[in-house]
Amino acid sequence: MIEPGEKGFWIVAGRALWVLALGLVAASWWAAATYAPVEAQMGPVQKIVYVHVPSAIVTLIAFGLTFAASIAYLTTKQWRWDAVAAASCELGMVFATVVLVSGPLWARSAWNTWWTWEPRLTTFLILWILYAGYHVVRSSLRSVSRRTVSSVLGIVLFVNLPIVWKSVEWWRGSLHPRNVTMTGEMRETLLLSMAAWIVFFAAAMVSRLRLEWSREAAAERA
Amino acid sequence: MTLIDVAVKDLRLHARDARFLATLLLFSASLVLILSVAFGPIFREPAHEAAATLWAALFFAGVLGLTRSLDLEGEAGGGDAVRLTGADPYSIFLGKTLANFAILAVVFALVLPIASVFFDVGDLRTLPILVGVAALALLGYAAWGTLFAALARGLKARELLLSVLLFPSLVPLWIGAVKCTHALWSGGSIDPVRDWIKVMAVADVIGLALAAFLYELIQEASE
Repeated sequence: MIEPGEKGFWIVAGRALWVLALGLVAASWWAAATYAPVEAQMGPVQKIVYVHVPSAIVTLIAFGLTFAASIAYLTTKQWRWDAVAAASCELGMVFATVVLVSGPLWARSAWNTWWTWEPRLTTFLILWILYAGYHVVRSSLRSVSRRTVSSVLGIVLFVNLPIVWKSVEWWRGSLHPRNVTMTGEMRETLLLSMAAWIVFFAAAMVSRLRLEWSREAAAERA
Repeated sequence: MTLIDVAVKDLRLHARDARFLATLLLFSASLVLILSVAFGPIFREPAHEAAATLWAALFFAGVLGLTRSLDLEGEAGGGDAVRLTGADPYSIFLGKTLANFAILAVVFALVLPIASVFFDVGDLRTLPILVGVAALALLGYAAWGTLFAALARGLKARELLLSVLLFPSLVPLWIGAVKCTHALWSGGSIDPVRDWIKVMAVADVIGLALAAFLYELIQEASE
């Protein structure tokens, strides 16, 4: 956790993470463009997978972290856990939006439609709406009850994550690919992309949390 | 105060306000009317259209009931008074859930015949199973609804937010209820969609279990 006394460390760590994240993202884009082969059936459009799948994984990590931090806040009542939950949820929303935008681009080419009411798509859209609701609720509450109410929501909304994850298995007739089975250069590129976006998420989390700490410090001074 | 006391208290307050009950019933009846006009006059698949209409009317009208039960807490310090009796928070939650369930059951009892007549669907043989399906769906609705209503207590525009959070969470119950009702009205049996009964039961249990852990915390936050 970021402590005011360790400010210097977190500034350096944050910058180092950003350098690493941007380097890895650039490398993953280079790999997606040149190293990974063009898929035989779909052509270049298939390369969206190198953004779509990692974003989906980071979304799950982010909302999972919100869930864990929400439990931590309710048990310890330390505001820093609430800050972690809120920051993580915010970033999760960004990645979830990337998933929702990149998915239809891929679907247009694979299924010949932008959107279809298919289990994975439907459950993911519901997830997106619910977490958007989290931010609306959070921003419209007074500071006293805000932390508890958002933590409770962070726990309640998490129930949807396993549903999204398992939707392709639970519902028959799901079109969405179950697991991405890739080999060779494609697999390596996908793994690199995942690593890149996870580090990117970590870097963004550090920046976001430093902002939260400054806010808290300003509120204390006021 | 036991959960029955809380439920009876809420229901008595609802019963005193005849306007509330009348509005609730009129609202759900007019929803059925509007949707049947929109789908008709010749229905392509009456069982399906009627099932969707019935549950849409119930789910939308339910929000009115939940908001009203929220207001009861605020009026004349009712919520604080209940807490001061030293009642167990989970009993309060269960009592309020029970009261909301009873209100939904009343709306169901009214909307079901209207939907059956307008769409010309349903028969008495399948009625007991349909009532069972409705009990499962409405219990889940009441549990999740009471939980979210408690969360939304301190919010501005809480009716809107309640809908934004509640409806997406209720999707498993909503799909389950529509599929089972459709199966009953079109084929007379629930067997083809038996899995959805399990889904609804799981949704009910999750709603009730989450509240067991979280309702006390929500109550503390609003004090």
